Amino acid sequence: MLRPTTLAMILAGGRAEELNVLTYYRPKAAVPFGGFARVIDFALSNLMNSGIEQIAILSQYRSYSLINHIGTGAAWDMIGRYRGVSILPPFIDSEQQDWYRGSADAVYKNLDFIQYHRPEEILILSGDHIYQMDYRDVIAYHHRKNADLTVVCKRVEKQRASRFGMAHIDDEDGDRGGKMVTYQEKSENPEGEWSSLTVLCFKPEILYKALEENQSDDSFEFGHDIIPKLMDQGCRAYGYKFDGYWGYTRTVEEYWNANMDLLGDQPLVDLERWGIRTNLDHRGLRDYQPALIGRNAEVLDSLIYNGCVVEGTVRNSILFPGVHIGAGSVIENSVIFFSNRIGKDCRFDKMISDVNTVYADNVEIGIEHVDKEKQIAVVGWNNRVPAGTRLGHGVTVSPQLQPDKWVEVLEAGRVLR
Amino acid sequence: MRKPDEAIVLLLAGGVGSRLNLLVEKRAKPAVTFGGIYRIIDFSLSNVMNSGLTRVGVLTQYKPLSLMSHIGTGEAWDFTGRSRGVKILPPRTGSKDSDWYKGTADAVRRNIDFLEANKAEEVVILSGDHIYHMDFDAMLAFHNSKKADVTVGMMVVPKEQIHQFGAGITNKDGRIVDWEEKPEVPKTNLASMGIYVFNRDYLLASLARSKDEIDFGMHILPWAIDNDNVFAYPFYGYWRDVGTIQAYWEANMDLLNQKGMISPEKWQIRTNVEAEERRADRPATRYLAAAKVRNSLISAGCVIKGTVLNSVLSPGVVVEEGAVVKDSILFRDCRVEKNAQLDLVISDKLTRFGENAAVGVGEHHDIISRLYPKHLYTGITLVGDSAEIPANMKIGRNCIVKCNASEADFTTPFLQDGESLS
Repeated sequence: MLRPTTLAMILAGGRAEELNVLTYYRPKAAVPFGGFARVIDFALSNLMNSGIEQIAILSQYRSYSLINHIGTGAAWDMIGRYRGVSILPPFIDSEQQDWYRGSADAVYKNLDFIQYHRPEEILILSGDHIYQMDYRDVIAYHHRKNADLTVVCKRVEKQRASRFGMAHIDDEDGDRGGKMVTYQEKSENPEGEWSSLTVLCFKPEILYKALEENQSDDSFEFGHDIIPKLMDQGCRAYGYKFDGYWGYTRTVEEYWNANMDLLGDQPLVDLERWGIRTNLDHRGLRDYQPALIGRNAEVLDSLIYNGCVVEGTVRNSILFPGVHIGAGSVIENSVIFFSNRIGKDCRFDKMISDVNTVYADNVEIGIEHVDKEKQIAVVGWNNRVPAGTRLGHGVTVSPQLQPDKWVEVLEAGRVLR
Repeated sequence: MRKPDEAIVLLLAGGVGSRLNLLVEKRAKPAVTFGGIYRIIDFSLSNVMNSGLTRVGVLTQYKPLSLMSHIGTGEAWDFTGRSRGVKILPPRTGSKDSDWYKGTADAVRRNIDFLEANKAEEVVILSGDHIYHMDFDAMLAFHNSKKADVTVGMMVVPKEQIHQFGAGITNKDGRIVDWEEKPEVPKTNLASMGIYVFNRDYLLASLARSKDEIDFGMHILPWAIDNDNVFAYPFYGYWRDVGTIQAYWEANMDLLNQKGMISPEKWQIRTNVEAEERRADRPATRYLAAAKVRNSLISAGCVIKGTVLNSVLSPGVVVEEGAVVKDSILFRDCRVEKNAQLDLVISDKLTRFGENAAVGVGEHHDIISRLYPKHLYTGITLVGDSAEIPANMKIGRNCIVKCNASEADFTTPFLQDGESLS
């Protein structure tokens, strides 16, 4: 089997408005995750571990970080005579001048690329979820059912259902899957209890036709337009039931929660067991020396990568490569991205700090006493935080603030631009 | 942009390094793990890279497999490209000579075709055995400014150590006027680091003189000093020959030194993280609720539930609850099970310390190894590749546990100080 039969398309175009300062300069799929990786590494590693060798990534928003991250694809073994990963950016030609108008439009605009590969099935994935899945099993089920479309779904509680595409799946194959009877996108009161995970397996001709027809509509999304259209047309649609871990990263809170799932003795997200790989050339990961844990350091319940130097205390937190924590500082419940420098006697609780930010001594973030649960503070990248600055819980600080914009005290929940 | 005649580098990586005992049972000394994720040869290769030199020949001989897979294409040190390259030069049989390399000069002589195929003004000859940070570009500039035929990298060492080295006496110009190879009674404290810059034509002429001149320090240099211009290039930084277990342990501990005696990251030392089943390509290290880690160097991919003090851990080491690892060096994927205690241990990769095992027990650091009194005499206990230490086993000081030792190999519950399981 030399020529790959499956073509996988990863939807990585979006920004995710709610991630705010974390996605000012990068698409959601390129947001750092897990102490060394990026969100899209989960989809890429799952593909690698599923033996799927022909991949395209649809990218539109600030794609540089993603292009840089994918590199040659060698990190996921996607380089070789019949193996490859292509980034497909929006383009103009004699017929059209638009950006990608939606996920379905992005795929439509690259139909020539897809047809060139003559796939036997097309796998559409979203590049912004935290999960482990063997797509081979999905594809096998798709074929066994001779389905036109197979949608991977996970059961969710009714009260959370309104934000998802919800399917009603019968029990034709018990826990494995069944016929998709109805599908409703973001409905207030959906009939089904199975949410689509945006892992879709299509019979190519069915997809080509649906994308073609969709062009005369005014919305171009798989969940909102393509799946409902195929259901209306009475196509053979199946639901594949997934009951593993599924982490969303659409909002700061979801993102922080998924990070906390990396911690503990039996972590819900187990990077080693899942076989997650990243591109070690991106940001020079391979060039960091092992972490130096100092004489008076304390590190508990945390994830720490090479290149960190810890002289203070780190609890229940995640440190990306190149983070330095000064003596006397206490970092709790926080996610600190690449190359942050934290001075002496700082105290952080429940915060996310984007790359390259430098904190002088005695900075406090989110340490006030709160009766309810603390909100998550987020500090954008490339900031220089002056000594003694005090930021309340839940604050948001824009990237690269001018020095004169800093304030001594920022109340909880405020935004500093 | 490379000059067309840029210096070519020969890296001598064939030595056995037998004083490293078990650590060189399956690999050559330059391939021995150092500082968690590195191998000793990474320091020389990275110095070459950071000096802007791009053509390297690596002379191998003894157990070269790990070394060859580690060097790979040379991509880790940026040696891939149109005019760049790192070539492995193994011993080979010729029309007459079919024996192994007899010495450093002999090894270079048998690779004269490599030198002839790569035009260069100078040849830099290095050993792959040392931990240091040095700019060969500056040494080449020194060599050319002195119009030297040969330049030798030299540094001041304590008098009592000079007997291990070639020793040179220089005039006020820096020219070497007298030379003693491994002197018993030294006249100087200036030691050769085994780093030479030769004018290429001078090197070819020297090697052509006599096939009996098999060693640089013993034959080639003394002749050159007597007859031509040999200069000492003074080096003042950190440099260690980690050829003994004690020196190897001390240099690893220098990584933890607050003064930053060795800073692989600052020195821009590169390694091949992907060779040998993703040796260093791992996720972040997980510290659990009862972890206690002080003054240690911890590679990615470890799981730490117990205590780690003054130690260096390679990727994939697991330290379970209640276990204590102190003053030790653990290679990749070692497993220290519940309540096991390690004190002054160097363990090769993939070993397992069973529950409640204690390795390095007691205070008899002075009961030296019976089999290898010159290898283990300060209390360090060595555990070989893939050895399995049974639960509750006690192992004393200066002990050796052979590679692949299985539980059944341990016939007593206590391996006494200075004893070896081999």
